[in-house]
Amino acid sequence: MIEVVDVWYRYPEGSVALRGVSLQIERGEFIAIMGENGAGKTTLIKHFNGLLKPQRGEVFVDGINTKESSIAELSKKVGVVFQNPDHQLFSSTVEEEIMFSLNNLNIDADEARRRMEWVLKLLDLERYRKRSPFSLSGGEKKRLALATILCMKPKVLVLDEPTMGQDFEQKMKLAELLQNLVRKGTTVVVVTHDVEFAAMYFPRVVLMARGRIIADGVPEDVLTNDEILRRASLIPPQATKIAWEVSRELEDFPRKIIRVKELYEAVISLVR
Amino acid sequence: MAIEMFRGFEFKRRDTLIHRLDPRTKLIMSLSILVSSLIFDKIIPLLLVFLISFALISISKSVTEWYKSIKGLSVLFLIILIVNSFAYSLSFAIAMCIRLVNFVTAFSLFFLTTHPDDLAHALISLRIPFEIAFAFSMATRYVPTLAREAQIIAEAQMSRGLELQKGGFLQRVRNLIPLIVPLVICSIKRALSVAESLESRCFGAVKKRTYLHELKFGLWDFLMSFAFLGLVIWSAVTTFLVGYPRVFTLELPI
Repeated sequence: MIEVVDVWYRYPEGSVALRGVSLQIERGEFIAIMGENGAGKTTLIKHFNGLLKPQRGEVFVDGINTKESSIAELSKKVGVVFQNPDHQLFSSTVEEEIMFSLNNLNIDADEARRRMEWVLKLLDLERYRKRSPFSLSGGEKKRLALATILCMKPKVLVLDEPTMGQDFEQKMKLAELLQNLVRKGTTVVVVTHDVEFAAMYFPRVVLMARGRIIADGVPEDVLTNDEILRRASLIPPQATKIAWEVSRELEDFPRKIIRVKELYEAVISLVR
Repeated sequence: MAIEMFRGFEFKRRDTLIHRLDPRTKLIMSLSILVSSLIFDKIIPLLLVFLISFALISISKSVTEWYKSIKGLSVLFLIILIVNSFAYSLSFAIAMCIRLVNFVTAFSLFFLTTHPDDLAHALISLRIPFEIAFAFSMATRYVPTLAREAQIIAEAQMSRGLELQKGGFLQRVRNLIPLIVPLVICSIKRALSVAESLESRCFGAVKKRTYLHELKFGLWDFLMSFAFLGLVIWSAVTTFLVGYPRVFTLELPI
């Protein structure tokens, strides 16, 4: 679905953000991209919808080279939800905010109406439809920002730090929503700092550090590799930390544990 | 383009003679360039002022940034050139262009080499109240932040299928609404939170305050200040009292 081939990118101010990144994302995948601040995560996802064009290397979306397509054309396929919803909300009502995206794509009125209803319901925003986006709470604004992208029905949905400032319940709801989208065939890529969130829900984790991908695989491998985590300045999930502590005392205690449930099962089987 | 232009006015930390000068000296230098460029209206003397100010830009190692702002104004130069050569003469048009270049150079010289805090310092030493000087330096400090934010907002809206370059003139103006509204709202929000954090750090609690750096007027400051005040006096005297020397009045044959 998205193919990144040896991409280099340097900002005009001089800092090199990507140093030869290659990544293959298949249709229907659910991927977390992680790494410390300045690792190049946001720069990478801006390449997915053509906001940035690689200076060296190539990015293909659905077989099309991003260099040969416009941002508007690509954003029909790849929807990017930015970190701060304040950077995109401007309309006087929630409904108009969603309609803005749909009108940009020139979708006919009936279909647009249908999609708006669908997305309002999906993101639990129905009761705010006539409210001003600015009167919403932080979490609601984030959901609205997601709605303005989701209504375009992109094949690939990319979210930058969707869990920041969200309480636990909202995080769970978001994860459920994303999992549902994946089940229906959408490809979902999430940039996140939240190790627990990644460990809980994602079948594939990509770790970045200093403009390079340093690990790519199942979270059971990536998030339990001490050396790689240190290079990405990440702390392993709490369940992993406990497993490591225990394994120092008991040699054959499994170290590749990332979820509480697995830890619980390991402990129970030990006791038995 | 618009964002690039501001780069030419953004402070860059460098260690050169110009950067080390007292901000008041730099204020005098920049104002002198402005005033003498306003007094002169012929190519040769304006070119002379330009050479002096360009030399200063080169000493401060800021030619690239300066060039960016000149390039950003290229459309304006073209308009001035065309309008003035039709209304007056080509010589006058060129002189006016050089005058504008001098203006930009004077501003670049000051803002590229003066840290916003030093700017506030310079204003305070000119007996401007601290609150106003502080507000002024904050404003310049936030220009690059605002430019960066505008870029992010444009990217966010383009991700929603907004095409900034599409449509006729009216449509393009309408396209700016999704950029301007979030920018204004974010700025107001930031202003409020900055105000709160200033107050929680006792901003304005006492009338007289101390400063981390004290300004010092050194030898170079005296030399430069006198030289540039001299430039203003000389330009006024030649223009209003003595009259231009012959070379100054040389014009293009057409």
